[in-house]
Amino acid sequence: MSQPMAKKKKLSLTKRHNLTGWAFLAPAALLIAVMSFYPMIKAFVLSFKSGSTFKTMEWAGFSNYIRMFQDTVFIQSLKNTFIYLIIQVPIMLVLALMLASLLNNKHLRFKGFFRTAIFLPCATSLVSYAIIFRSLFATDGFVNSILTRLGILHTGYGFLTNPTSARIIIVVALIWRWTGYNMVFYLSGLQNIEYSVYEAAKIDGASPIQTFFKITCPLLKPTILLTAIMSTNGTLQLFDESVNLTGGGPANATITMSHYIYNCSFKYVANFGYSAAMSFLVLILVAILAFIQMKVGDKRD
Amino acid sequence: MKRKVVSLILVTALVASMTACGSSGEASTSGSSDSTSSGASSEEAKDDASAENTSATGEDENTLTVWAWDETFNIYAMNEAAKVYQKDHPDVKVNVINMPWEDTQTAITTAATSGDYSTLPDILLCQDNAFQKNVLSYPDLFVDITDSGIDFSQFAAGKTAYSVVDGKNYGVPFDNGAVIACYRTDILEQAGYTIEDLTDITWDEFQTIGEDVLAKTGYALNSTEAGEPDLVMMMLQSAGASLFDENGNPTIADNDALKKVVETYCSLAQAGVLQITDDNWDEYIKSFNSGKTAGAINGCWIMGSIQAAEDQSGNWGVTNMPSLVGVDGATNYSNNGGSSWAVTSNCKKTDLATDFLNSTFAGSVDFYAGILPSSGAIATWSPAASADVYSEPSEFFGGEPVFTKIVDYASKVPSNNTGAYYYEARDTVAVAITNVMNGADIDSELANAQATVESYMQ
Repeated sequence: MSQPMAKKKKLSLTKRHNLTGWAFLAPAALLIAVMSFYPMIKAFVLSFKSGSTFKTMEWAGFSNYIRMFQDTVFIQSLKNTFIYLIIQVPIMLVLALMLASLLNNKHLRFKGFFRTAIFLPCATSLVSYAIIFRSLFATDGFVNSILTRLGILHTGYGFLTNPTSARIIIVVALIWRWTGYNMVFYLSGLQNIEYSVYEAAKIDGASPIQTFFKITCPLLKPTILLTAIMSTNGTLQLFDESVNLTGGGPANATITMSHYIYNCSFKYVANFGYSAAMSFLVLILVAILAFIQMKVGDKRD
Repeated sequence: MKRKVVSLILVTALVASMTACGSSGEASTSGSSDSTSSGASSEEAKDDASAENTSATGEDENTLTVWAWDETFNIYAMNEAAKVYQKDHPDVKVNVINMPWEDTQTAITTAATSGDYSTLPDILLCQDNAFQKNVLSYPDLFVDITDSGIDFSQFAAGKTAYSVVDGKNYGVPFDNGAVIACYRTDILEQAGYTIEDLTDITWDEFQTIGEDVLAKTGYALNSTEAGEPDLVMMMLQSAGASLFDENGNPTIADNDALKKVVETYCSLAQAGVLQITDDNWDEYIKSFNSGKTAGAINGCWIMGSIQAAEDQSGNWGVTNMPSLVGVDGATNYSNNGGSSWAVTSNCKKTDLATDFLNSTFAGSVDFYAGILPSSGAIATWSPAASADVYSEPSEFFGGEPVFTKIVDYASKVPSNNTGAYYYEARDTVAVAITNVMNGADIDSELANAQATVESYMQ
């Protein structure tokens, strides 16, 4: 598009190209603006108001934002979300990377079967997998009855009634659900790495571990960055697992920010101003984390 | 040629989906622009919306639209009520729509927040626990039916109180939530007790018997969900105590009755007499259906779930719940759950709606007698108990006339204040109890809970 525009005829052609481009862009851009940006601006305005109905809402300045940091339940949900983020995302990404490089092996048999099997959890609905995990780890659920049959436990252990184990169950569930999804990204990234690079490394006498760290990881960096940002984003907006698997309990030990925002909007006396303010904090956190990851991960510029 | 056809189809699909998205986008913006835009345009948006939605309440003057959520229970009851009413008013139609409570609450919140009630039906069923919250948050949501001719004194007082705000009646009470204590008579027998030993007792006596039953048979006498303070709320109401005072201020800290309730709860749980299940309803039902717990203390609607275990037929008995020790006004009666019918301000036929409710849910013994056998919906309307079906013995519950018992219990339930912030208070108390069970100090936890609830109310 930035060709030198010397002749008149060429200029009109570029112009026409530009116009065609904009014509293609316009519908999507318009839809995004109307359905995504406009509500976002509205919500931002809303976050400075308080009251139970739109008609009676009054400007409240920063009070919603100040209240957030005095709200013990919100602080707890913030902590919980960050615990999930710090523990779950690294484990999941490392696992996905390892699985992807294993499944990229040219000599592996039944590759398609393994890839499908690992990706399949992504096809299950969020609610149903959360409920299945809930009944697996119930006090007299599947896991407990196996452990008691094997003689490891005497009576069933309350996985979901103990704060630490309840958090671990959520992390385990998340890893089960999302590892395959990230693996697919890595697999497609790996397709772009020339096989001759690996052959050359082999000839030079590099061990598989060296190849993984010296070739696979650096060449996959853009994909790793992408998955890290997406996973961070997803974890900060975690909702279904908290609601359906643990119900946020015991004693708010597993409640996530989105779950609490939902409670404040629909379970409790509706306070959409406060909910909007909390949603914006989530947005700011996602933006900051993505920015840090971009700065740390992408050294191209 | 082939390619052209394919691309034509794709383009058509794309255009179709875009126009579909576009129109819904417009609708949503016109709805939300209500909030800030000037009066004129919001008026316009309202007109549009009401024009679209007249079908929700029915243009026909003789059609009532109703929302309820259980096909075999309240929807069935409403349809039967319609049949009863149609005998005298053949041209009246009642259109019952299945709407889960969570969705009803979301619809109420959305409608009331935007000030546009046109999406609501004429009559809706409201959870008793959420009734005051909705009336206090949205004063013009429901129609005041105090002077509609319905005789509210014929309903159980503890039940009617849920739908009364500032002395005004906003709801017609429907199903009974009187608390009953159900015990496995066969297990009690093994330990040397009868159902009479558990009638009119205190929680202290309950614990003594419970420990004995546990030692002899390995059965707990009651169970409850971790994180759901149903039992705590029942205990509290049995002494006429609440989490809020009459003005709606929280009374969680320095509440002697609540403190006693928490102590009793923890003591029962630690003794193993009260089994704490995982935080979900299925686990709770399983605790007595699969036979680890020999009792269930809950609203009388729990009978439906108990009867699901058909092999235990005849082995259950019903009596009243234990009472608190050392609390003024302690009784053996309480309430949990239940719902009431409310007429929304979107109803343009309030006379028809109230007359319909008055001649069925508040005025027909035959109607209540008709719905009892198949739905188990026990009336809170006292005259209904005179119907013959109420005195029929229940084979499952040891051949006793349980329904008469329950109507009697319901009339003795002390009333309490749910207030607007009931769900907030409930959740914070649940957190406090979990912490106390793990060794925290009761007074400081209840003070924390009070502070948390107050922060919601600012």
